[in-house]
Amino acid sequence: MHNLYSTVASVLSPASPYAADIGRLFWITFWISMVILVAVSAFVIFNLIRYRDRGQEGLPPQTHGNMVVEVTWTAIPLAILVVLFVLTMQTMAAVSPSSHPKADPVNLDVIAHQWWWEFRYPGSDVVTANELHIPVGTPIHIELTSADVIHDFWVPELGRKMDAVPGHPNTMLIQADKPGVYLGACAEYCGAGHAWMRIRVIAQTESDYQNWLKAQAQPHPAPKTSLQAVGMGLFNGLTCSSCHVVKGSGQPEGHVVGPDLTHLADRQTLAAGVVPNTPAELKKWLADPHSIKPGVYMPNLHLTSQQLDALVAYLEEQP
Amino acid sequence: MTTANSSAQTGPTMNRHKVGMLFFISSEIFFFLTLLSSYAYLSGAFGNLPHQSLAVPRTFVFSLFLFSSSLTIWFAERAFHRHRYGAFRWWMLATMLLGLIFLSGQAIEYTELIRTGITLNYDVFSSAFFTLTGFHGLHVITGLVMLGSLTGLSFAGKLGPENESAVATISYYWHFVDAVWVAVFTVAYLIFI
Amino acid sequence: MRQEPIAPHALPFPPLTRGWGWLAWFSTTDHKKIGILYMVTSLFFFGVGGIEALLIRIQLAAPDGKVLTPQEYDAIFTMHGTTMIFLVVMPIFIGLANYLVPLMIGARDVAFPRLNALGYWVFVLGGIVLYLALFTGSLANAGWFSYAPLSEAAYSSRPGVDYWIVGLIETGVGTIAAAVNLLATIVRYRAPGMTWRRMPLFVWMMMITSLIILYALTPLNAGLIMLLGDRLLHMHFFRANVSGGSAILWQHIFWFFGHPEVYIMALPAFGIMSEVVPVFSRKPIFGYTFVAGSGIAIGLLSFAVWVHHMFAVGLSTPMNAAFSAASMLIAVPTGVKIFNWSTTMFRGRLRMTSSMYFAAAMIIQFVIGGITGVMFASVPIDWQLTDSYFVVAHMHYVLFGGSMFGLWAGVYYWFPKITGRMMSERLGRWHFWLAVIGFNMTFFVQHILGLLGMPRRVYTYPGLPDYAALNLISTIGAFILGIAVLLFLWNLVSSFRHGEEAGDNPWDAWTLEWATTSPPPEHNFEKLPPVRSARPLFDLNHPEYADHARSSREAKA
Ligand code: HEA
Ligand code: HEA
Ligand code: HEC
Ligand code: CUA
Ligand SMILES: [Cu+2]
Repeated sequence: MHNLYSTVASVLSPASPYAADIGRLFWITFWISMVILVAVSAFVIFNLIRYRDRGQEGLPPQTHGNMVVEVTWTAIPLAILVVLFVLTMQTMAAVSPSSHPKADPVNLDVIAHQWWWEFRYPGSDVVTANELHIPVGTPIHIELTSADVIHDFWVPELGRKMDAVPGHPNTMLIQADKPGVYLGACAEYCGAGHAWMRIRVIAQTESDYQNWLKAQAQPHPAPKTSLQAVGMGLFNGLTCSSCHVVKGSGQPEGHVVGPDLTHLADRQTLAAGVVPNTPAELKKWLADPHSIKPGVYMPNLHLTSQQLDALVAYLEEQP
Repeated sequence: MTTANSSAQTGPTMNRHKVGMLFFISSEIFFFLTLLSSYAYLSGAFGNLPHQSLAVPRTFVFSLFLFSSSLTIWFAERAFHRHRYGAFRWWMLATMLLGLIFLSGQAIEYTELIRTGITLNYDVFSSAFFTLTGFHGLHVITGLVMLGSLTGLSFAGKLGPENESAVATISYYWHFVDAVWVAVFTVAYLIFI
Repeated sequence: MRQEPIAPHALPFPPLTRGWGWLAWFSTTDHKKIGILYMVTSLFFFGVGGIEALLIRIQLAAPDGKVLTPQEYDAIFTMHGTTMIFLVVMPIFIGLANYLVPLMIGARDVAFPRLNALGYWVFVLGGIVLYLALFTGSLANAGWFSYAPLSEAAYSSRPGVDYWIVGLIETGVGTIAAAVNLLATIVRYRAPGMTWRRMPLFVWMMMITSLIILYALTPLNAGLIMLLGDRLLHMHFFRANVSGGSAILWQHIFWFFGHPEVYIMALPAFGIMSEVVPVFSRKPIFGYTFVAGSGIAIGLLSFAVWVHHMFAVGLSTPMNAAFSAASMLIAVPTGVKIFNWSTTMFRGRLRMTSSMYFAAAMIIQFVIGGITGVMFASVPIDWQLTDSYFVVAHMHYVLFGGSMFGLWAGVYYWFPKITGRMMSERLGRWHFWLAVIGFNMTFFVQHILGLLGMPRRVYTYPGLPDYAALNLISTIGAFILGIAVLLFLWNLVSSFRHGEEAGDNPWDAWTLEWATTSPPPEHNFEKLPPVRSARPLFDLNHPEYADHARSSREAKA
């Protein structure tokens, strides 16, 4: 099994200007904090060693306090915090959409569901799930909403995280400087599947991205083999199409319950990052979704092995 | 409620009931502040419903009864201080009557709302309105029960100068219930109408 | 010894404890017995919450853990957080205060003994109800702050959350009763001579804590009632997907309570520190007024910072900025405390008892937790780190490294007073070192996990680089910490049975609780020394240094 998670998803390896700004602020705060921590710890430990009771007679000098030092150690932290607050305000502005007006923006609609992500590309018909393709070097404006409970979109290397709150649409910015795969996850506890509501951002050069977008806009390839044809029939005949859309399958597009499965074969993972997207894993998934992702809202349809093979052939575009 | 300490009531320990009640009331204020600010927070989604369904002038008149009961209980307390227990009892009864009149006003309001189908779970407005006014109503009822027991004890001749702090404590509570209504009325019937 | 008898309440004292044998514990209205009941109950729940913590750590020891199902895991972390906060830390401090506050202010009893007993039993009822949900086959599993709409009937249809709500309302009511009682006691029952400026700092901190309880818990109860209305009566408060309810309103209500709550759990520990550090440094607290005053500042500020738990929600910039500033500001009075404790040690004569060890570790660990708190207060940093393991690390550093270590310092300090016997120093030292190692091992690495992008509240995780190793370290640390806790429990039990006799005042301490026997009689005091400063017993035992004669001494010099 190839490892889907061999790269880091670290706040400290920023790959966007926004994550870099926040990373810088983090390090400044970190070093200020270290100075404070080391100073306090050193003082405490020094006292513990130097003034340990060695059985001396009498009592140490009974000092009750000192106004000057009190004022000093009120004023110094205050001054540090004023600086920190100014930096905070600056960084806040730098990473927020309002300071990056959309000139020629790439917009994305992200809709969180229990427990998967719906990605819509406005201006085209493209809808994907759990894996987000973006062009490098451009700020991406994300419109974030939720279809059910509160979720949170977080790809640490690309920018801040933000909650997807039902009834409260949010906008946020991400960007990727270099092509590559960036890992993220839903960060707000949203129920049984919260651990497996992962995000995978695939950043591509502008031309790769445009090609990808064009390909995605096409309907799902028509069946080329009889097995695939059977699969398409099953997809429409079983209840699959009441929850899923496959453009080109001939079914009307209903309201969204499950991920869009058009061009499923294009994705690296299944079910928001639980397993790699291979025909074998898809077969297991369709045979019993709960054994792969406990709690999931896709029912076990008790399919026969032949039905499974046909569906896999159709969805994964396998002969 | 006598305990070891109160049996030693001298000097500062005299007022423990009053002190306790004042702390308790201050805590209750935050309960109502939460309900009130939730009402205000949600009011954006109320639409026209409060305006259509709440009877402001009538409720205002009923409110006057509750407000005046703060006065009567003050007279009751004064009578108690002067050991005029007959007058005390009559002022207490007057206070309770005023409280009951106020409650009947709320009952009318509720019946009308429910008749038009605006029940507890009708929408955001009804949820917020019934919760806010309902909890106030519960406090009025609690107050009435306490006033009733005091009056009953007094009629039974079991209330003497040593119970001064009980009378004071319960009257604090009644004033508080009154004051809460000022806030509730202002928020629900005047501002977010 | 020159001791002026001042009997504060001279009349005969009726017994507060009726019944016989152990049954007497059920009917007692004696504040000391109730204090002990609180503390023993909390220790029991600490075992429960600790076992839940170990289950969490076992499940997370390696990627793709299979010990627990997600539903089980979710219930366990929810109950772990709820238990530790509402059934362990809060009540254990209330219990300690119940026991000590009347003694420290020279009172014979609390203002409302029966209300006090009632408060305890209502709290116990709440604890039972929280776990009673087990019999419905569903514990609460929406997290300790049960965000709507996840906690609404549409997404949590099983009754666990209802039990959670009712249980919390009950513990809340019990706690409010306890707070009213403590406040009335402090305001009305101080011994003659004990002015505000002579009151022990533990009493100061408990007074502020009690005020915070009064004004933070009623809003929580109001919110819980609304949530219950939504769930059971189909009302519309927080159902964001239906007709205008607001998911964000719940967050405002919860955190309006939730942030003050964290100071309810911290201030009593600050109070303990302010007693323990001076006594074992053999010096008065440095800057008494500033320590007390910074407590007031923290209490006030604690009501003005709640939105820092909601920075990622997408509120307006001015809102985020204001709450960021207020949150940072709280570091100032907290720092004042830290500096005053460490300066109290400066030029002292430190007696390195187990109590003092815990106090010293508390200072350093609390600073670690405090500065990560300030990092969150910086909005953009929070936008990265909120809801990650960095938060789990922060909260355990302040709660465990701060409050629990502070509590332990207090237990080693007051155990002799409460039981008449000393705790074993040898076991205490083992307990201390295992706790320091285990605690830091468990939670330090969680900072790194958070930075590496691991979200909190996940029942399992894929094996990203370093995740497996760091989580394993954390799990091993938790078990070391578990051994430390067991040693502590063993120390309590064995010292209670066989510990050395303590005598009235084994530490040569100076507050009034040490002026009576150990354990104190039912009516607390035979006689009280005069209270002419914040250290009445010190004045008595070291007349040449007496605080109240300070100005005349200085004038002579
Ligand atoms: C005992 C409990 C306790 C205490 C005392 C604190 C103290 C603080 N906390 Fe913490 N906090 C929690 C318990 C506590 N917290 C818990 C349980 C959560 C998680 C809740 C959940 O989501 O489940 C949380 C979460 C939390 C968040 C939200 C994180 C998130 O979910 O995104 C924030 C954000 O601002 C925060 C901030 C602070 C700050 C600024 C302090 C300050 O009070 C700290 C001040 C102290 C110091 C700074 C150290 C000493 C000072 C000096 C030595 C002076 C010099 C220092 C400077 C100039 C920096 N806390
Ligand atoms: C004061 C509060 C407190 C304390 C003391 C602790 C103590 C511990 N906590 Fe807790 N924790 C919280 C408050 C606390 N926690 C909160 C509020 C949350 C958030 C919950 C949420 O997200 O909703 C949380 C969440 C939390 C998580 C994150 C879960 C997640 O997000 O998925 C983890 C993970 O490691 C953890 C671990 C631990 C560990 C290992 C301990 C250890 O320190 C425990 C040590 C104790 C023991 C190991 C007990 C040993 C004793 C025995 C075995 C004997 C028992 C005998 C008797 C019955 C008497 N805690
Ligand atoms: C009741 C609704 C429902 C039905 C019926 C249903 N599914 Fe699903 N399906 C879902 C949901 C919800 C998910 C998302 C699960 C998750 O990741 O949490 C999903 C996920 C999937 C995925 C993974 C998609 C991805 O992007 O990772 C595939 C493939 C899939 N379903 C195929 C099918 C097929 C084939 C059928 C019919 C045999 C079917 N589903 C029937 C609801 C349904
Ligand atoms: Cu979606 Cu967590
Ligand atoms: Cu907070």
